Amino acid sequence: MSSDYSYDEEGTLWPFFVFTLSGLVTLPLSYVLYKGTRDPAASFPRIKSDYRPTDAEVVDATRKKDRRKDNKLWLVFLVLLGWSVMAYTMYLIYVTPTTIRSIWNPYDILGISESASEKDIKSIYKKLSRTLHPDKARPDASKNETIETLNDRYVEISKAYQALTDEEIRNNYIQYGHPDGKQSYSIAIALPKAMISDGNGKYVVLLYTLLFGVLLPYIVGTWWYGTLKRSKEGPLMESANRLFRQYEENIDVGGVITALSTGKEFEEALKGDKADAGLSKIESRILAPGETTPFAGGLSVKDKEKLEDIESGPRRKALALLWAYLGRVDLDDDALTKSKYEVAPIAHSLTKSFTAISLAYGNTAPILASYYASQHLIQAVPPKASPLLQLPHFTPAIAKAVEGDSRTVMTVQSFMDQPDAKRRSLAVGKGLLTEDQYKSAVTVAKQLPYFRVAKAFFKVAGERCIIPSSLVTLVVKGRFIPPGSEAVPAIDELELEDVDAAEDDLDAILGRKKKKQIGKDEAGKPVYEAEAPEAVFPPLAHAPYFARDYSPRWHVFLTDSKQGKMAVPPFTFTEFDAPIYGEDGVAPTFRMQTMKAQFAAPPQAGHYTFVMNVVCDCYVGFDTKMEVTLVVEEASKAAEMVGEDEISEPDEDSLAGIMNAAKGGPPPKKKRAADEEEDSEEEESGTEEEVEDTSDTNTDTEPEN
Amino acid sequence: MFSINWLSLVLPFSYVVVLGGALMSFSTIYRKRKAAESANLEPWFGPHLQRNIYLSLLHMEPEEGAEKSPKIPESVIRAALLRRAVEDIHRIIQIRTAKAACSSLLQRGSVGDDLWQRFSRAEKEMEEELRDVVMEANALAPGWGQTIFQSANEIAANTMLRKRLDEIQAQTESEKQWWEKRRAQIQKEFMSELDGGEKPVSKAPSAASEDEPVLVDQNTPSATPSAPKKKKGKK
Repeated sequence: MSSDYSYDEEGTLWPFFVFTLSGLVTLPLSYVLYKGTRDPAASFPRIKSDYRPTDAEVVDATRKKDRRKDNKLWLVFLVLLGWSVMAYTMYLIYVTPTTIRSIWNPYDILGISESASEKDIKSIYKKLSRTLHPDKARPDASKNETIETLNDRYVEISKAYQALTDEEIRNNYIQYGHPDGKQSYSIAIALPKAMISDGNGKYVVLLYTLLFGVLLPYIVGTWWYGTLKRSKEGPLMESANRLFRQYEENIDVGGVITALSTGKEFEEALKGDKADAGLSKIESRILAPGETTPFAGGLSVKDKEKLEDIESGPRRKALALLWAYLGRVDLDDDALTKSKYEVAPIAHSLTKSFTAISLAYGNTAPILASYYASQHLIQAVPPKASPLLQLPHFTPAIAKAVEGDSRTVMTVQSFMDQPDAKRRSLAVGKGLLTEDQYKSAVTVAKQLPYFRVAKAFFKVAGERCIIPSSLVTLVVKGRFIPPGSEAVPAIDELELEDVDAAEDDLDAILGRKKKKQIGKDEAGKPVYEAEAPEAVFPPLAHAPYFARDYSPRWHVFLTDSKQGKMAVPPFTFTEFDAPIYGEDGVAPTFRMQTMKAQFAAPPQAGHYTFVMNVVCDCYVGFDTKMEVTLVVEEASKAAEMVGEDEISEPDEDSLAGIMNAAKGGPPPKKKRAADEEEDSEEEESGTEEEVEDTSDTNTDTEPEN
Repeated sequence: MFSINWLSLVLPFSYVVVLGGALMSFSTIYRKRKAAESANLEPWFGPHLQRNIYLSLLHMEPEEGAEKSPKIPESVIRAALLRRAVEDIHRIIQIRTAKAACSSLLQRGSVGDDLWQRFSRAEKEMEEELRDVVMEANALAPGWGQTIFQSANEIAANTMLRKRLDEIQAQTESEKQWWEKRRAQIQKEFMSELDGGEKPVSKAPSAASEDEPVLVDQNTPSATPSAPKKKKGKK
């Protein structure tokens, strides 16, 4: 009985091992590759438009190039290698003859049926011994027999005979499957024997050294330095550092654009001779007088001075290209046009870093400026220019004509809110839009997701009033009403309520999706509502000039208007709970959407007036600013109200009681007389009785009675 | 006694030597690189012009041929020191406001470590600079060290205010022109309306369009009761 480890000498096992191992690696990688090759933006809805800007091909090419960049060549190589290894090992498994050790069967050896009687066995044995005994039988050369094989055969035969007749040997046979007793077994390692044979040892050691001494440190090192190289928001760390130095307290959108040009990414995009080539041409074009603005690039005098202060090099060219992009200035040069569309997505990725930096400072103006910079970059609209430029076919001259001589710019909403005849008279005409162009502009405008806030309020889940330091939820209710929508239904007051989940509804509290029970069928089984629809994504930004697909985000944050400081950092919303557009993807549904944001209430009681900003980072002029007041009640007063309402008061020794004490609330009142309670109950109004009902059903939370 | 087979020990020993050597060279190279990196860090602030002016005034070299260096009036030196203090105030304000933001961003991993290094170096430099200014001030006039930064602070605040004011006032000319134009236009429309009766209806929209954006923006939240009312409406 030996239990020594041996290597796989016949080569029957290691292919299985290698096949499994490579399968474990290859299959997930193949999935990743498959996911990567598909366009992730394809699953998003889009705004339908037939508008193609003049440089549409260049924009599309840039968009495609970016998508291709994501597909890594090494991944393809690795997957191919994995599949070929798997195929080869599969082939080996298929080809290698398997040596199956047959089960030792005495009946087969003797050549009798298993139902044979002892007498038959004896007679057969005798017959066989007569013919096959080594003394009798002669080795037959034609059958390749020798004395040894004859010997072995006879030994087998006698063993088989004994196994069937002798008691002890029969026991052995039954217990271990063999008349000799326990057979030896071996454990084989599923590695080819060749690995440890003398000559190959050094190659194996070399392979190990390469794997653990070179490849592993390399992978860990690239990962570690890769994380160090990029900041949390995505841009290079060096760019983030430079942006931090560019931050100013009263920066405007133009200033943000100038700051963004410091990004190191531009140095990589504009390498070598691209760093300076054509700079004077771009500058002369963007600084030429524009149709309605002093400069065609849409930059202010301050921005121009800043541009001219920069030494020539990649930064200056990047900034000039950005202004050319924002001003939609024709550069009349293929290479320059291409770079013009390439710099915008880079700058947009940098705005994220700038937003994070301005959030850390907490001043309102830079935060808004960085969001506005993002909007302007996506829409290719210069700062302070008319938001109407977001619509197809609109040029600064047309926007100017529509706006008239007004000083304030006209938003898309206010343009579209005018009756059709009126806006047609403004926009269509000689030197303005043609009838077709006007129609295409209006169809796009009628699909833009403009979030109109219906109501915004504060609440604490499950409480009636807000006490200091409690976790407040800001609930924003609103609907997507594209500009120029007709027949917008009135708001259903019921939809403006935010109903708390029942106390025992764990699913809702934990945020789990639950099927709603509609009723019961005949058998008494509950009938559930059809599965609630998944999160709804708004359509990708309508941005014909921006060389990326971008899903819009809405940021909700509170600011203190008196101090110009941010009060509650932004909450970002990318998906909504109700469908925005109907089946055709064009007609809006006007369904009520809810956005919720949680934050800690101020530690002192009082009335706090905030300005709530709802900013979409894709469309210019779609922001909402409104005042909201947060009323924080004194904890003791809140407790009184709670007491009156008969909502379960936290017990002194319960968790809620401890929490209440920790919040600085008074210790719960001692037990009151039962009749007193009854009195207060009678005074309550109808709505509050409902509250009481629910608390009565949960008697276990009641402190006493 | 054992006879040691030295030959067979060569491999393990060389392994230890190679391993140790690799680790040591890695650490020295890494540290050297780090040191070089932090030595080459860009300073947070640019050259301190006001300080340079002050120092060069203080250590004026005698002109060629002249025996003595030119006598600098005391008032000029004092003014230079005050200018230097004003610039320091600007810098200190920048550092104070940036400190919290920088450290929180560093914690979140939004900015790099070398930015923080540069920042803390600038902070230390500023401390030294302030101490130096106080000492210089005390040397020029006893007791001035306590008050120099107060006056510098006032000067700094005033200049900032002045700058903002100038910026706003610079717009007056263009604003004025625009309003003149606008008034003329409205007047013209008005007159033509008076003259022609119902005729100028087609011209009116341009005037109306101006007010509309404002109106629409305000009615955005269709029901905007103040928050306390909402609270009652809830539940």
